[in-house]
Amino acid sequence: AAAGLCPGRALLARRRGALRALRCSVRGLAAGRETHFGFQTVTEAERREKIYQVFENVAKKYDVMNDSMTLGIHRVWKDILVHKMNPSPGTLLLDVAGGTGDIAFRFINYVRSVRERQLQQKLRHHQNLSWQEISESYQEDKFNLLGDSQVVVCDINKEMLKVGKQKAQHLGYSEGLSWVLGNAEELPFDDDKFDVYTIAFGIRNVTRIDLALEEAYRVLKPGGRFLCLEFSHVSNPLLSRLYDLYSFQVIPVLGEVIAGDWKSYQYLVESIRRFPPQEELKAMIEDAGFLKVDYQNLNLGIVAIHSGFKL
Amino acid sequence: VRCQLSPPQRALQASAVLRRVSDEQKETFASSSQQRFDSHPTDHQPGQEPQGPRPSYTGQGGQESEDYESEEQLQHRILTAALEFVPEHGWTAEAIAEGAKTLGLSVAAAGMFHSDGSELILHFLSQCNTKLSELLEQEQKLVQLGEAEKKPTDQFLRDAVEARLRMLIPYIEKWPQALSILLLPRNIPSSLNLLTSMIDDIWHYAGDQSTDFNWYTRRAVLTGIYNTTELVMMQDSSPDFEDTWRFLENRVADAMNMRDTASQVQSTGEALVQGLMGAAVTVSNAETSQVVR
Repeated sequence: AAAGLCPGRALLARRRGALRALRCSVRGLAAGRETHFGFQTVTEAERREKIYQVFENVAKKYDVMNDSMTLGIHRVWKDILVHKMNPSPGTLLLDVAGGTGDIAFRFINYVRSVRERQLQQKLRHHQNLSWQEISESYQEDKFNLLGDSQVVVCDINKEMLKVGKQKAQHLGYSEGLSWVLGNAEELPFDDDKFDVYTIAFGIRNVTRIDLALEEAYRVLKPGGRFLCLEFSHVSNPLLSRLYDLYSFQVIPVLGEVIAGDWKSYQYLVESIRRFPPQEELKAMIEDAGFLKVDYQNLNLGIVAIHSGFKL
Repeated sequence: VRCQLSPPQRALQASAVLRRVSDEQKETFASSSQQRFDSHPTDHQPGQEPQGPRPSYTGQGGQESEDYESEEQLQHRILTAALEFVPEHGWTAEAIAEGAKTLGLSVAAAGMFHSDGSELILHFLSQCNTKLSELLEQEQKLVQLGEAEKKPTDQFLRDAVEARLRMLIPYIEKWPQALSILLLPRNIPSSLNLLTSMIDDIWHYAGDQSTDFNWYTRRAVLTGIYNTTELVMMQDSSPDFEDTWRFLENRVADAMNMRDTASQVQSTGEALVQGLMGAAVTVSNAETSQVVR
């Protein structure tokens, strides 16, 4: 498919993408294009393999490491993402690269509380009903605590999904939750299915971001929303220096001490530096067809939430 | 800096929701008898044929050069559709989500708007103002054609304010909520803007030609009348809001009297000042004559 699109893309792509596309038509697709893994240069196939191994290794300690690296702030970031989504009951969410289920659980909590508020308001209006009618209304709402909302957690890595399922069982989440093994560049879902597509700290690990964005566009319903939470570019020079210092000196050490894996966390901080900054990612999202694309910086750009609509 | 060629690429991908403007036009003309308000498509292409598809030519790459509606137009459509859910859900993101659903969009489209429903209220206000302008324009035409009598100013103001306030009646239960949202600092510039342009419109059609300080006093007075009447309407439970219209009548009458009172006060003031001046002159003359003597 890429071959047919190549000449077209070469005309319309941005500078970086244009170079890559030219290289593609020159080298042919046999060996796989060159891309980056942290600060190394590898082929696409190698990159996918390496990233799979990274997450296989860190799966069990993923949540602990998140907490220690970000000093717990990642929880706030994920809360802000779900608040920005403001899902109403009946929303169908696809959480890609959602491995250990953080976004999915927050989504379920949010929808549950909105639903409770709705039911309370309905009951307030029912002051004049007879006991018969009130008991009937209780019964029909009993099985509908989530209001038909559902979340599908999709991840390419079996280990991460395993950890997520265990967490769900442990925390008592069972309703409205499903776990699917899948690749963000080639989602195993039909067109026009989901209301919201989220990818939190996952798009950095996707080898072909443009394909993932196109898949996101495909599986979203018309009017659906794309939300991406990811590490991004800090423009403030002082904070940037402190952040670099922390990233390269502290995080790999923490990785070694807590998870016994220096290399994976070295990859993590390098991949953050290689990821496109806010404006470039915004342009890529627009290229996939999304409209009203915007981003919100959290913590001065350490993390950014990008949002787009399929209109 | 966006690449110049990207818009055609997006048209190639065929936007999922943004309709072609020709489709919208057909719908607008078909339902114009239902008094549906949808001025944007008609503004966009005044010289359009209502029937049949717009003639298009295929440019390079097989693209048809039709215009798609813009995102703002789609947002207006969603907000208009959301209005019918306001009596049930209030001026909230939920109403907007329901409105999006009726247009065949996902409920997530409500994320385009602020979560407190401000845009919905402002949209409704600007719709009402436009309706009022059209109403006043029609009345003025009738007067010009000689088919109706020109109303005296107080009657005109009363009718205009009543017509505008009657537009709130379907949403009256949730309107206090709307007023409180409009008072948020973020919304004050827009809501003030809409209010002043409405008042301006009413005075314009009332035949106000003033260019002096009267321009400001007239608008301040009418704004006061409008706001107070609106508040009275919020807690009025009389049949068909009779109490509110009576209140309005009294306030407009007060305003008319105030004009006369004001000129009376002015002439009294002048008289008073002249009297005082005269007294001062007399006293000083008396003193100088005393000194001289």
